Amino acid sequence: MKLQHYLGGLEGLPELTSLEKRVFVEEWEKRIFGIHVAMMGLSNHLGSALPAYPIDQVPTAFKDEWTWADLRTGAEAMNPFDYFKYRYYEKWLGGITQFFIDKGYITEDELATRMAEPAAPPQDSGEPAIDDQVIAYLRYGDSPRRDVAHPKFEVGSTVRIANKPAGSHSRLPGYLRGRTGTVERVFEGDYAYFVHTGDGIGDPMPIYIVEFDPEEIWGPCAEGGPETLYAELFEAYLEPIEEK
Amino acid sequence: MTAQFAYPPDREELSAKKVSALESLLIEKGVITPQTVDKVLAYFETEMTPLNGKKIVVKAWTDPEFAEKVVTDTPAAIAELDFPEGMAGAEGEHLQAVANKPGVHNLVICTLCSCFPWPVLGLPPYWYKDPTFRARAAREPRKVLAEVGLELPDDTEIKVWDSSGHSRWFVIPERPAGTDDFTEEQLMDLVTTESMIGVALAGPVK
Repeated sequence: MKLQHYLGGLEGLPELTSLEKRVFVEEWEKRIFGIHVAMMGLSNHLGSALPAYPIDQVPTAFKDEWTWADLRTGAEAMNPFDYFKYRYYEKWLGGITQFFIDKGYITEDELATRMAEPAAPPQDSGEPAIDDQVIAYLRYGDSPRRDVAHPKFEVGSTVRIANKPAGSHSRLPGYLRGRTGTVERVFEGDYAYFVHTGDGIGDPMPIYIVEFDPEEIWGPCAEGGPETLYAELFEAYLEPIEEK
Repeated sequence: MTAQFAYPPDREELSAKKVSALESLLIEKGVITPQTVDKVLAYFETEMTPLNGKKIVVKAWTDPEFAEKVVTDTPAAIAELDFPEGMAGAEGEHLQAVANKPGVHNLVICTLCSCFPWPVLGLPPYWYKDPTFRARAAREPRKVLAEVGLELPDDTEIKVWDSSGHSRWFVIPERPAGTDDFTEEQLMDLVTTESMIGVALAGPVK
């Protein structure tokens, strides 16, 4: 099991004394956020996204795929104790920097040299078509919907949540594994996921809202009182309950 | 203290230097331009901010037909309003609203990452991404809400929505009492990001 998948329900955590309402707590965090969005907006898979972006014609040197799945896979691959050690954007900075090194865009040496001796501001203003594509991605998105729904289950069906090996990435919250719930809604479409995660999602499939009684999930550790938990789950994570 | 938590004393300075070096190299190599990051940030500072969510909520408070539609067909309801182009863009491709009502309180969480409806609420505040919040709100939402100042009556049902699929969720809070003669601007002032995720109510009415 991967601890990152089992965050929901973890016990022994401290009281929340206040809410940190800032989006960025350090100025540098804004820069890595912007770089990540640019990578998503320049990702080579967008040529086959909806809408079909003219990604081949964008004059960027970026030639790889970069989606949420890449960022999440990286975070889920971390030593779990490091995962909790680093702040949100520290993980992004680590993962994204390593990606550019691994893919050969930059080297460790270049990075170290540039860190020791910052460069003068660039003279060239760059290709505006790069920025246009990034903003177009923000405005038009990257919908995973591929077709109308072809659901196996209907509203009211009782389902058991699958408990297959997690693989490098998952969209199944660990605390739901093996639990029983009721289909509350079948979404209108079949939805792809950016990658094949190894635990069943990737190809277009229905997505459901499954309703859970907290006592089914948490047993005697449930909070009690009127509460319902809803999870939005890909069909690959649902199994039929065998009639006895 | 173990090495596990031996943070370098210049932790933030190192990150700042690293990201600055990375951005500079990416510009030099033609991956992005000198303006790319600033343009992305400006998009979220000027167009995709919680103001959009506030407008949606106030419309729902003042137009019963819209209030119904915004939960049954969120994208179509939002498309009726006057917004910048991009409400169905990145992280808004499949928006889904849930509405509080007497006796029912909704809370949106993301236990696997930090899914957030960017075009409606802008970027997520740190508390939403905090592992402690994400972990605890799944199992003990009533206690967590009380800790951050929202004491719900024992008989109020809490519906927790864990965002692990394609939808990006937000909450239409209830309109506070005593606001019948409020203007739209006054009503918008009552709506916060926290109330649109469900860790607070709209208000207080001053």
